[in-house]
Amino acid sequence: MQASRARLFKEYKEVQREKSADPDIQLVCDDSNIFKWNALIKGPSETPFEGGVFQLAFSVPEQYPLQPPQVRFLTKIFHPNVHFKTGEICLDILKNAWSPAWTLQSVCRAIIALMAHPEPDSPLNCDSGNLLRSGDIRGYQSMARMYTRLAAMPKKG
Amino acid sequence: MLSSHTSDLFCAYCSEKEKIKYTELVILFAPAEMQNLKAHDGDAETEKVSSTQASDIDDWANFKDDDIMQQQFAIQAEEAEKIPFVGSKEEPLSSLANEYKSGSSILLEKIKVLSEQYAAIRRTRGDGNCFFRSFMFAYLEHVMESQDQGEIDRIKANVEQCRMTLRNLGYAEFTFEDFFALFLEQLDCVIQGSETSISLDELVQRSRDQSISDYVVMFFRFVTSGEIRKRSEFFEPFILGLTSASVEQFCKSAVEPMGEESDHVHITALSDALGVPIRVVYLDRSSCDNGSVSVNHHDFHPVGNDLPSAKKGGAEAIDPFITLLYRPGHYDILYPK
Repeated sequence: MQASRARLFKEYKEVQREKSADPDIQLVCDDSNIFKWNALIKGPSETPFEGGVFQLAFSVPEQYPLQPPQVRFLTKIFHPNVHFKTGEICLDILKNAWSPAWTLQSVCRAIIALMAHPEPDSPLNCDSGNLLRSGDIRGYQSMARMYTRLAAMPKKG
Repeated sequence: MLSSHTSDLFCAYCSEKEKIKYTELVILFAPAEMQNLKAHDGDAETEKVSSTQASDIDDWANFKDDDIMQQQFAIQAEEAEKIPFVGSKEEPLSSLANEYKSGSSILLEKIKVLSEQYAAIRRTRGDGNCFFRSFMFAYLEHVMESQDQGEIDRIKANVEQCRMTLRNLGYAEFTFEDFFALFLEQLDCVIQGSETSISLDELVQRSRDQSISDYVVMFFRFVTSGEIRKRSEFFEPFILGLTSASVEQFCKSAVEPMGEESDHVHITALSDALGVPIRVVYLDRSSCDNGSVSVNHHDFHPVGNDLPSAKKGGAEAIDPFITLLYRPGHYDILYPK
């Protein structure tokens, strides 16, 4: 508990210091609870998520950093490795490939990379995975772009 | 806007390719979900998945990886009841023989041979960290018994080297410094005569305390990963022999995560990085052609980082003070007579 708090405080300071280093990620700690974080990430360019801003919620366990943070999308997203309803993310580093060498910030980077490189062979969203696996790239991109517009972009005028 | 779009879409439910409109396709998806989306259209960015929402989704949707991880933790907890991270010293090796009573006769023969040279075994939990955990305890116990301040000074210099290695590889200091600090603290504690000194019993207790034990194991994982990546050209062919992963992938997936089992690559790297020789005794079913039973062992002698290929034999004929017993898939600590 004490160790995880100390580590998170270091990450907090690092985030403050490096604020402008990664313009695609805005990581914010809950004012009253250092175990709860939120992030806004920009959809990577040349993907159907381009132009969207996606919100992530982090819940950090007491055993952090020996155990991974729990992360989910709060913003609806159509992606094979994100659960359409719960926002849960299927990413190895959030499960068995986690190590303390990762940070909340680098997890955000990994999630952005996952958005650009979906893994349709282990889908949490089968509909999205099936589109990609059947080679219907256009269909996948259209659906993903539609949900980006509906859920991840501020409504224009 | 939506209804005017048509496209070649693959219907995920009937798996037939047909021309359908987005609006139709969306209806194929859970309608409740769409209402949800519409309701949040205004402030799309902050659509929340609250617990109340989660309660009315069906069982399948509720089935999450978290549950699988919970189950995994439960299995680990069950294992934990069987044996602590580090067991007590068991003498003699007959306890080992009991395990194989109805098993292979070769193994029983080999245990007999082993018991001529080795007095006792100390078991570690089979949680994928057994090599690092065994090394941790055996090393700290050795320093405690020998009270060898020279060895402590020597390994501290190596630890600082490892710190530099990780820095140079681009690891953020704050990701590994806590693990380094905890190991250095343990080193100081096993030297007697200061306020922080601990007894052997306390060392056993600490090795069983997850908040200390796992941190030291993780320290070794950082050190091992740093050494492999620093000398990636040397380790690459060995890693290719194990998996098809690149050196970096191997370190990320098979060295740094807790619970990933160790192989000769890990042992070589750790031994080299810390400058500590390790003997591994192999207890398996292999036998000699001539019918005689012998137990193989392999000594890992650290290679000086400055002279990667030189320095074979000669001055470093010292026997390793750490002896581990390897049975396929697991390491325990052995005590010579």
